[in-house]
Amino acid sequence: MDAVRALQIENLHKTYVDAYSGDEVVAIGDVSFDVAEGEFVSVLGPSGCGKTTVLNIVAGFVEQTSGSVTVAGKPVSGPGPDRGVVFQNHALFPWKTVQGNVTFGLRMRGVAKAEREATAAEYLRLVGLTGFEQRYPHELSGGMQQRLGVARVLANEPAVMLMDEPFASIDAQTRRRLQEDLTRIFQEQRPTVFFVTHDVDEAVFLSDRVVVLSGRPSSVHEIVTVDLPRPRDWRTTGELPQFRALRNRITDLLAGDESHAVADPA
Amino acid sequence: MTGLARRLGRSGAVRTLGPFVPVVALWWLLAQLQVFPPAFFVGPDAVLAELGGLLERGILPGYLSDSLTRLWYGVLFGLGIGLPLGFLVGMSPVARRLTWPLLLFFQAVADIAWLPIVIVWFGFSLTAVTFVIVYTIVFPLVLSIVAGIEQVPPELVRAARSMGAGRIQVFTEVIVPGSLPSVASGVRTGLGYGWRALVAAEIIVGTSGIGFMMFDARRVGDVAEVFLGMIVLGILWYALDALLLAPFEHATVERWGLVRQSAAT
Repeated sequence: MDAVRALQIENLHKTYVDAYSGDEVVAIGDVSFDVAEGEFVSVLGPSGCGKTTVLNIVAGFVEQTSGSVTVAGKPVSGPGPDRGVVFQNHALFPWKTVQGNVTFGLRMRGVAKAEREATAAEYLRLVGLTGFEQRYPHELSGGMQQRLGVARVLANEPAVMLMDEPFASIDAQTRRRLQEDLTRIFQEQRPTVFFVTHDVDEAVFLSDRVVVLSGRPSSVHEIVTVDLPRPRDWRTTGELPQFRALRNRITDLLAGDESHAVADPA
Repeated sequence: MTGLARRLGRSGAVRTLGPFVPVVALWWLLAQLQVFPPAFFVGPDAVLAELGGLLERGILPGYLSDSLTRLWYGVLFGLGIGLPLGFLVGMSPVARRLTWPLLLFFQAVADIAWLPIVIVWFGFSLTAVTFVIVYTIVFPLVLSIVAGIEQVPPELVRAARSMGAGRIQVFTEVIVPGSLPSVASGVRTGLGYGWRALVAAEIIVGTSGIGFMMFDARRVGDVAEVFLGMIVLGILWYALDALLLAPFEHATVERWGLVRQSAAT
């Protein structure tokens, strides 16, 4: 592929010292892959394989031991608005209204009020939250909260949107709808997405490519290209033989890893 | 329960004053039956008469305003010192390491224990009383601000940072509102302690004020006035707390708490 590289991860390696035992623990062995502009890439792996650590390093929350992360050609150091994060527990500001949350990033970057409001209206419409501007997050359902989490990041137009198991804490019914919403939003806006999950169906349904990590210390096991047609929805996409084949293949990749996976309480 | 009783139960005045009815009745009964000698224990009627007399001579309003003025100065300086200090200690690991043992030590030295030396330094003055109140307010306030800052979910700070907030913006937009419930309860606790310290200080340092009034009455054996002083203290704090501090704390805690619950599910 010779598309523009929005995100490049090269030989990422992370060790940390366990606070209790004092032992050195390898969280990430050696991870390299990249995400093209406008591409949806999921990172999938057994629990405790360090996939969230990869995201945290890309977000700038955690520093890598070695290796490099480049976003739009610039090496990453510390968190920044070019890498907006959607958190598993939403991390919305409870004391701000929906409007206050969605305009937060724009306000931080000094965008004028009129433009902020226009942008906010656009992204709230995109996620279906028009009319809820003056509500507080606790007045919204879990699914609506996470849609706000997505709108808040997209309104800030990051070079890459990082999503850390965003639907893991949401009930199965709502989760399917949110996945369809997300794939529609992706279709409309074409943001670059880096998506962490442990749900194989979710990864296949949403992604252009799925990066399968091996168990700890993690490395890239295989990168699976998902060339399912878009737009996608569960009713049709979920029934496609290619969808099932991809899902089974990835499940096998993960299962093959299970046999020699290290027992991990996390 | 009859309809009338239910309506009464819902009324604010009944709910506030209701619990006092049996207490006052018991008090009246004890006085009436002369369980204790009247020189030591007077009934509500005597206290009411005392109230009338003190109001008429303007002593009670004068002392009351003296006490409230002292409290006001104490609170003003207490918050002025406690709020910035609390956020400084809470935000800076260095300041925290340097001051934490000191904070715990000085918090442990009871406010009243400062009075002897404060009197030596400032004499029997407003400064001495203010010093003690400020001292009493600052420490619980600082400790609860630090606790409040610790309770701000780190993910909120991360979210703000990844949307372009700088360090100062993280402070004003996330840390301050995020720690507000804890700050509110710190202010409330601090003021409660300050109020008690004020009365104690007036008893010892006093030249005027409710605390002084009570101790002076004891000297001349006017038990009714002592009783009256205690009741005034109770009513005043109850009013301040119920009308001002509790609603503020409740409003912040409730909204924030609701969100924490929904975030946890």
